[in-house]
Amino acid sequence: MKKHFIRLFAIFVILIFSVPVYAGAPLDSVKKCVNEVIGIVGNPKLKGEAAKEIKKEKLRVLYKEMFDEIEFSKRTLARNWNKFTPDQRKEFVNLFEQVLEKAYGDKVLSYTNEKVEFYKESKLSDDQFEVQSKIITSSKEVPVFYRVINSNGKWKVYDVVVENVSLVQNYRTQFNDILAKDNPAKLLEILRKKVSTH
Amino acid sequence: MKNILASVIGVMFFVIAACPCNADPSNDTLSFSQPPTTFKLVLSAKENPEKAANPLDEDYQEDENLDEYANNEIKEERVDIADPLESVNRVTHQFNDKLYFWAVKPVAQGYKEVVPESARISVKNFFSNLGFPARFLSCLLQADLSGAATEAGRFTINTVWGIGGLLDPSSGKELNLQEQNTDLGQTLGVWGIGQGFYIVWPVFGPSTPRDTVSIAGNYFLDPVAYLNPWSARMGVNVLDKVNAASLRIGDYEALKDAAVDPYVAFRDAYVQYRYKRVKARQAKWSSSPGPAETSVPANPESSKRGQ
Repeated sequence: MKKHFIRLFAIFVILIFSVPVYAGAPLDSVKKCVNEVIGIVGNPKLKGEAAKEIKKEKLRVLYKEMFDEIEFSKRTLARNWNKFTPDQRKEFVNLFEQVLEKAYGDKVLSYTNEKVEFYKESKLSDDQFEVQSKIITSSKEVPVFYRVINSNGKWKVYDVVVENVSLVQNYRTQFNDILAKDNPAKLLEILRKKVSTH
Repeated sequence: MKNILASVIGVMFFVIAACPCNADPSNDTLSFSQPPTTFKLVLSAKENPEKAANPLDEDYQEDENLDEYANNEIKEERVDIADPLESVNRVTHQFNDKLYFWAVKPVAQGYKEVVPESARISVKNFFSNLGFPARFLSCLLQADLSGAATEAGRFTINTVWGIGGLLDPSSGKELNLQEQNTDLGQTLGVWGIGQGFYIVWPVFGPSTPRDTVSIAGNYFLDPVAYLNPWSARMGVNVLDKVNAASLRIGDYEALKDAAVDPYVAFRDAYVQYRYKRVKARQAKWSSSPGPAETSVPANPESSKRGQ
């Protein structure tokens, strides 16, 4: 009987310690990162073509701070992730990051005083939240939602939903389409080509 | 003997209860079709998150995926859209792409140089005001009376005080009458008609049989369609399109450049967008008269996101 109680006690201890630590409000965490991005991009000291590379370098650091890159990649591949060898996964995460940088780097750098408003966070699960914001330009409002996950006590973005379109889902559909016909090596080759051209 | 059995069952019960997989009701979606090896991996990774040496070595777990995909109910509905016409659609997609880069974009860029942004926003407001009949009718057909009233109010105010719709005083802070983003295709969606398959129309772009109703309906409901002669009608339509494009130069390019397969990327973006619009309208429909969030549809998450 005593043994039984010890066992029970051990189980309770494990349960208590497996409760995720409180990591601070997700909204504040995303807001802080976005403001830092705006700070870098809108920095009046960093102007002209020469400063572009410096800005990009700073943004890269911030990207790692803000996003959970592996979670991001994993979700875009979904079940296909399991078909990749660890080496292929590593390369994929790296290539996917470069694809995103190519696609959105200049877009972010072209920021000019648009207003960004954070207004809501909603809980998706115990360690997942959706932080809702909108970018207000002179002619329109663009809703941008960040989905964040608690990764080791920090809130990290794993999906961005722009105007109701989830980035992860959009890439997932594309990768799925390719991987339905070809193997992971072929997808990596396509991505390598995408990153190296223009 | 009985005692031992009872304690064994008791211990088993607590072990099961303590299993992190079952600790969270949202994890019930864990698929059992996964091979047992994956299941073990999931457990070990969850029990000691610190010790998971390298996240790259972890397998993808279905249960951690909280997107709409994970929810079985929606899975059926939206994992993908059927695309039986893919080969034809890809050709039309190419045609529209060329139409944009060779005709629409250069014209819109020239227009942008000449016409200041404030004027272009006014032109956009004007055309958007003319779209009132379709939005009003759609709201009515969706039994969204407050939406219909908002639209009627907007139309009156913007036409009279907004100089024929050039200005949009209704959406200002004082009146706060926002445009109802809805159309006939969404109405059919709200009524429960599925999206069907994917079609790319020349000029009009991505669509489905259901959403094609909007294109056809607009032909009858848009006042511009009643302009005579046809050349005037064409001219006004071109102005509308060029003006709209001038305010969005760069958006299409950004989406296209970001894509690995642009055709699939646009298809998916279109389906996602339409799906969430219909969901949002459905939430409104099922909860009228009241804010959408008070209703709890089958999947509360997606309706929250659809707002």
